[in-house]
Amino acid sequence: MSSIDLFSIATGSSEPIYRQLIEQVRRFVAGGQLRAGDELPSVRELSQALALNPMTVSKAFSQLEAQGVLERRRGLAMVVAPQHARAQPAAERAELLRPTLERAAAEASQLELSAAQALALFKTILREGNNP
Amino acid sequence: MNALTSAMSMTLNARSPDPAPTAALTGLHLAYGRQTVLDGLNWALLPGQVVGLLGRNGSGKTTLLEAMLGLREVASGSIQIFGEPVATLSDAALARIGYVPQQSDLFDWLTPTQMLDYFKSFYPRWNDAKVEGLLSKWNIAPGKTIAKLSGGEQQRLAIIRALAHEPDLLVLDEPVASLDPAGRRDFLRELVDQVLNRGTTVVFSTHILSDLERVAFNIAFLSAGRIALQAPLDELMETTCRVSGPVASVQALLQSRGLVALRSTALGGGRQQVLARCAADAQPPGSQGEVRVEAVTLEDLFMGLTQ
Repeated sequence: MSSIDLFSIATGSSEPIYRQLIEQVRRFVAGGQLRAGDELPSVRELSQALALNPMTVSKAFSQLEAQGVLERRRGLAMVVAPQHARAQPAAERAELLRPTLERAAAEASQLELSAAQALALFKTILREGNNP
Repeated sequence: MNALTSAMSMTLNARSPDPAPTAALTGLHLAYGRQTVLDGLNWALLPGQVVGLLGRNGSGKTTLLEAMLGLREVASGSIQIFGEPVATLSDAALARIGYVPQQSDLFDWLTPTQMLDYFKSFYPRWNDAKVEGLLSKWNIAPGKTIAKLSGGEQQRLAIIRALAHEPDLLVLDEPVASLDPAGRRDFLRELVDQVLNRGTTVVFSTHILSDLERVAFNIAFLSAGRIALQAPLDELMETTCRVSGPVASVQALLQSRGLVALRSTALGGGRQQVLARCAADAQPPGSQGEVRVEAVTLEDLFMGLTQ
């Protein structure tokens, strides 16, 4: 399976592109879409597919390697590290949502929304389902 | 310096920790009449860097790129490309430069094939396969008179011309202004290929920030006739923040955390908003009490740094 289609990046964000890539890989590994031994696209493939500077992609891969998420196999291919054989428990996966939700919580308080109002909106969005 | 020794010195430079710059501009002054455009500008492009040049309309981006290539005379200052003074560049050095001007005057009575054949005669190296491939991929009729091509097609042709001789330094002035989003993506892919396959040094100006974010690892801001700041975009986004709140509290936070104000805006009611930057190895503080600290986008940086 080619994992190249898993990736997408957003421009105009306050999150640098290399960090978007890091967070995506961490989520896919946590959720089990990428598992131990799965090969990632090469820097060349990913930078061409997304039209990104290769240094941005290799910076993301290097940091994922330092974090123990990926390993560098002989040659240049990066694979998911062996300890990530299965999806993480839901509680750990939920932690990965924390930064996004913290931002949302800060904005909700700036908008003077109550917890109930913000949660109702979040529930609606979840129900609307797999929107991009 | 012949092509072989220059290629060797490039290789050596690429390995040394402090490589000789591909282009080095020092103390440039240039004025149109009484209007100062370049005011003691210093700038260096290192081998393999992809640098996005940002500046407001009329800030002198085109003038700067033209001066860098020796196409516009400066009042004072020094410009070296591949270690040679730009005014007396050798043929070998000239052959290593590719340029896409903002306004392309592409011999519009010729056909693309005729024009490209003409340019081919000037260069020791010419990648016919690449030219053929791009003409066909980008749907440019090789036998149609250039004058009859659309603005976007002419721009693509200018890009093909600049890539055909596989330059080591590629200078692009608003290369995508008349391309649609699909055309811009094609162009960006081509640029990524150049960087991957040849380690080309690239400098390009554009107002399309999303393109810049994708391919420019470094961003240079031209403001008041100087490069106000050049840094990796990731680092800029991670070290710059927008701080807002009551003036006294904002100033106290800036001072206590060693943040340098890049631009301040009064908000009224005794409040202000400051675009501020911390040291490269530090992180901006979190929001505290009445003072809000937020992350910034490239657009925020553009607004703050290209005054």
